[in-house]
Amino acid sequence: MASVHESLYFNPMMTNGVVHANVFGIKDWVTPYKISVLALLYEMTTSKPIALQERRRLNKLILPLQQGPDLTLDQFLKTVEECCPQTAYAVKLRLHEMADGELKDMEYFFATLPTPFSAIDSEAYKTSVVGLFMRHMLLAYNKLSFSQVYKLYKSLQQYYHSHYAQPGDVQVGLPALAADDSDMDLTSTEDNVGERMEKEELDTAPLHESELRNEDAPSKGPLSQKQAEYFLARQAYLLKNDENKALKPSALQDELNNMLKFNPDFAEAHYLSYLNSMRVQDIFISTHSLLHYFDRLILSGSEGKSNGDEGYGRSLRYAALNLAALHCRFGHYQQADLALQEAIRIAQESNDHVCLQHCLSWLYTLEQMKGSDSSVLTEDSVKMAAHFCLPYLVSLGIQSLVQQGAVQGKTAHELMDALKDTDILHWKHSLSELIDISLAQTTSIWRMYGKSTMAQQQAQLLLNMNSLEQVNFGVQQNNTEAFAVALCHLAELHAEQGLYGAVSEVLKHLKEQFPPHTQHAKLWMLCDLKIQFDRAMNDGKYHLAEPHVTAIAALNKTEGLYRKAQVLKALNRTTEAYSILQRLQLYCEKTKYTEMIIRVMLVTAELHWESSGFATALPLLLQALALARQHHLQALASETILHLAFTQLMLGVPEQALGVLHEAMEPILAHGAVMDKGRALLLAARCQMAIAGTRSNGQRHAALGLAVQSLGEAAAYFSMLDCKERLRDVHYLQARLHHTLGQTPQRNKCAMLFRLLDQELQAPGAAVAMRL
Amino acid sequence: MAALCSEFGDLVQIKKQLISVISLCKERGLVHSVKWASELAFALDPLPKNELPPSATFTEEDAQDLDALGLAKSYFDLKEYDRAAYFLRGCRSQKAYFLYMYSRYLSGEKKKDDETVDSLGPLEKGQVRNEALRELRVELSKKHSAGELDGFTLYLYGVVLRKLDLLKEAVDVFVEATHALPLHWGAWLELCNLITNIDMLKSLSLPDCWIRDFFMAHMYTELQMIKEALQKYQSLIESGFSKSTYIISQIAVAYHNIRDIDQALALFNELREQDPFRIENMDTFSNLLYVRSMKPELSYLAHNLVEIDKYRVETCCVIGNYYSLRSQHEKAALYFQRALKLNPRCLGAWTLMGHEYMEMKNTSAAIQAYRHAIEVNKRDYRAWYGLGQTYEILKMPFYCLYYYRKAHQLRPNDSRMLVALGESYEKLSQHVEAKKCYWRAYSVGDVERMALLKLAKLHEQLNESDDAAQCYIIYIQDIFSCGEQLEHAEAREEGKALLRQISQVRDHMEASSTDLFGPLSSNTPVRRVSPLDLSSFSP
Repeated sequence: MASVHESLYFNPMMTNGVVHANVFGIKDWVTPYKISVLALLYEMTTSKPIALQERRRLNKLILPLQQGPDLTLDQFLKTVEECCPQTAYAVKLRLHEMADGELKDMEYFFATLPTPFSAIDSEAYKTSVVGLFMRHMLLAYNKLSFSQVYKLYKSLQQYYHSHYAQPGDVQVGLPALAADDSDMDLTSTEDNVGERMEKEELDTAPLHESELRNEDAPSKGPLSQKQAEYFLARQAYLLKNDENKALKPSALQDELNNMLKFNPDFAEAHYLSYLNSMRVQDIFISTHSLLHYFDRLILSGSEGKSNGDEGYGRSLRYAALNLAALHCRFGHYQQADLALQEAIRIAQESNDHVCLQHCLSWLYTLEQMKGSDSSVLTEDSVKMAAHFCLPYLVSLGIQSLVQQGAVQGKTAHELMDALKDTDILHWKHSLSELIDISLAQTTSIWRMYGKSTMAQQQAQLLLNMNSLEQVNFGVQQNNTEAFAVALCHLAELHAEQGLYGAVSEVLKHLKEQFPPHTQHAKLWMLCDLKIQFDRAMNDGKYHLAEPHVTAIAALNKTEGLYRKAQVLKALNRTTEAYSILQRLQLYCEKTKYTEMIIRVMLVTAELHWESSGFATALPLLLQALALARQHHLQALASETILHLAFTQLMLGVPEQALGVLHEAMEPILAHGAVMDKGRALLLAARCQMAIAGTRSNGQRHAALGLAVQSLGEAAAYFSMLDCKERLRDVHYLQARLHHTLGQTPQRNKCAMLFRLLDQELQAPGAAVAMRL
Repeated sequence: MAALCSEFGDLVQIKKQLISVISLCKERGLVHSVKWASELAFALDPLPKNELPPSATFTEEDAQDLDALGLAKSYFDLKEYDRAAYFLRGCRSQKAYFLYMYSRYLSGEKKKDDETVDSLGPLEKGQVRNEALRELRVELSKKHSAGELDGFTLYLYGVVLRKLDLLKEAVDVFVEATHALPLHWGAWLELCNLITNIDMLKSLSLPDCWIRDFFMAHMYTELQMIKEALQKYQSLIESGFSKSTYIISQIAVAYHNIRDIDQALALFNELREQDPFRIENMDTFSNLLYVRSMKPELSYLAHNLVEIDKYRVETCCVIGNYYSLRSQHEKAALYFQRALKLNPRCLGAWTLMGHEYMEMKNTSAAIQAYRHAIEVNKRDYRAWYGLGQTYEILKMPFYCLYYYRKAHQLRPNDSRMLVALGESYEKLSQHVEAKKCYWRAYSVGDVERMALLKLAKLHEQLNESDDAAQCYIIYIQDIFSCGEQLEHAEAREEGKALLRQISQVRDHMEASSTDLFGPLSSNTPVRRVSPLDLSSFSP
């Protein structure tokens, strides 16, 4: 490590006691690999015409070769060979001339390179990518001192000969040694070193710094500044948009450590290290890297005024803000709050409105995360951001407001209007990321309102949209949260319709796109568990549902409690279920989680039914209905009406029940889940039966006919879900009706179906009369 | 203790051993070990003529290699290492083999240093390394497994391993080297650099030799176990090394580390009397003078050192301190920079430079300097503390918490970090944490005696007047107990005033507590901890 720092002090550019990063203004320098690339470019510009297709492939190769890290000659030649074997041979020949010749051959090579200034027509024109690269290289070469030129030539020889020392071998990073003409058995000693290094690495694995020390680990050589910048930008982009394609956390950290070893001044690497350790939820290293980055950044901006727009005052503010964001991500709300206050104070002192806006948007996010109402703050933020022309913050604020509005029961048209406005903003500024979020949000809102078709349409829209990001242009999907949300909704919507094959397809895709360790994986895990739970409950396999409860509770506590109450209710452990529900309701009322409140009320009502307390269930249900209507939650409102109708039926007012039921029938058939459709029709049939009982003989037959029809439909829905318990009930009722109507063959058929199911199910089901 | 004395009883024997090891090291060009051993030998009484140890016996091989060795040694002394190695390549004797390998090693190091200047670009910095190391390691490891290495070659093998960052292996080899040749101080010193904690020290099996006591004392100083170190050195002095400048300087440094400034100053003055042209450790001496603000003495020291050798790290640090004391911070920074140019691994200079920049209100440069110090040594608590202070000055109390916490982690029993942490927490209105910090600072022995006062004020602010009174009372007792010292006379008066006021406050605390304490707080010594106070504790 010593050598890393020692050379710092020979810098003639040290000013103010501070060595500026990149003092010499050299962003790139000549390496043997670069010479090979130059040789390739030279061949491409001068040699005889190459076939069009091959040329095209070569052209595509140029940029990655220029920007990527140094390759060994083997790798390099292989890549070129894949495109055009003829050129690869020519390049090899040229390198051979230089390496096996004398120093003057290399000098001659540089002298004969087409100078970008003279060649106006060629591809190497001075402003082209190739021309720029050549100019960089020529400049760097001309700056070399005598001994450096000699060193370069030596390393070129080594580079070339290492290709022959281990032909086709994949050993990387040994060129320095391979060329040494020692008579010892090289391979054995190398293996020895490798083993030792491994041991060393294992011993010191928990130490982050120790990795830096492993100078002899077979890592890649230093990257030039250009290469490093490209690498960092690429990885940071991938981390944000498509985590799967980025390097694995440990591999990326290794690369970064390597980079920092060779250039401790390269502060951006610290920032990437911060992002990387956020991926693995390592608060220690991420804090360390973040602070280190800003300590370094302060240096580079120090020329400006201390508190102006430029200069390090600015980075101070953002340093505090980033620290707040970090604590926010780790859920340390108090710490985040303190850091945020600090950022706000400094920003205020220096009149930095832009930074203040960022702080404000973090402030309301923090408030939201803490669970308190922050709509006033958000509104302020939107207004101010609009005033300072910060479209990103504006629409982010509006989206946040929409989310809050949706929860608080704002009407749909208001929300949709707001979203439409932000969409205009997004397209105007091509904020592709926010467009994705907006679509996902619309999906969620429609889903909440219980309009499954609309939700499905929005989700499909998002999934089929081409990405607008420049790097991934044309690729359909990114790995952002928005996509995860949309896909989860899609899975749940399909599950509602009983299309479990499609569900498993979607989930498989999710698993591939968002592997379990990534940050959005929790979304699909919860979704998967919920679907499995619902299935198990519908099938009456409560013992299967129970383990899911624990898993759900780990991901979402509220949801877990709710599901636990459901299981307990199904297992007839009424008292426990009731106490949980009471607790849950109190908690949800505190956090204003309306959807869950209504659901809890419904389950509580169901509990009352079990103790035949139909009359006590009634006010609860009415309250739930009022809440659902107030918040425009159609799906839940229909569900409540179902419950209400059932209660009324049990209270002996079937006419009323049927009347109420008709209100809900339409939305359920249009948007509801298959299960709900079946249940609604079954309930309707039972109401019709009850009414028929009071009618005169003639009308009775007609009414019973209607009931038979409803039952038939219900049976169809239930068989779609393969919900055997309910099917058994339906067949029983069908058999009874047919019996009453005197249709013996149909009766016998239904009776047989009932018998079969009953045998299969074994367990005596809950009394038919007692459940919805 | 008794065992130790009896072992040192035979000073004559020790002197003989020293003389023979001096000639051995001299032949091999190990100048630093020669210096150490000679210093020690000088401290002992001279031997009568007939007692002088006979020069080492010649073997057949030695005789054969004699001429080549002589030639090579002369080249070696002229720093023509490759040339020396070339003429030694065929030699068989152990001595020649060591010199052969050592020349190759030094040649690699020299080239590395030259390369660094000439590297291709700033990014290549880390790539420059001693190319000879790998070859040396391969050859030496072969001989090592064959058991053909003597004490000196083992030492060289250890150095090579350390340079290759194979620290575990290096420790083993150094231990082996000390067993093979206990009198070679270089091996002990290398071992000393590799041991990081006391458990590691205890786990090593070291040869039972009088030199081991020197090593242990040195080790204790390094590990900040000053009490043990002082005990060791004291017993060494008692057993006959009382004239050794080495031991005196080590004791002075140890006193400096535990902030016993008077003792340390006295010892340094004695040292300068005995060895007026000594430059080593003088930077520590200057730190002490700085803390005591002894301008004339510091000025004299600086001028004296410049006359001796102005291009030494220590000299530059002394001059830096001198200018800093005269409040010429730009010049001070310049000299610290020069010290760093002479030796970039000189960690103290980075930190001191950071302090200078702080004085100049150049916060960004200060942050940079501290960061560099941390990069050289992650465990430099002064740099962490300095960073914390910088951010505190920039009014970022939450941000600086991290740095103070780091510093506190590295020095859990240092009250200054705790007080700084407490102040930051207080600014953030985290009163519970602040109180804890202050109380802890008091419990670990408060240096500036401010913690209790701050705690009391905090209690007062929070209207917890009983607790506040309690703290004031302890504070006053504290001040009284060291009332003999003159500098606290003022504080004592203050304490009395406080006591009077407390009784008043108790009567009508809600109404007028702030008014009463308003003027008071202005004359209590609530000054900031000057960053440079820390310089006195550089290890």
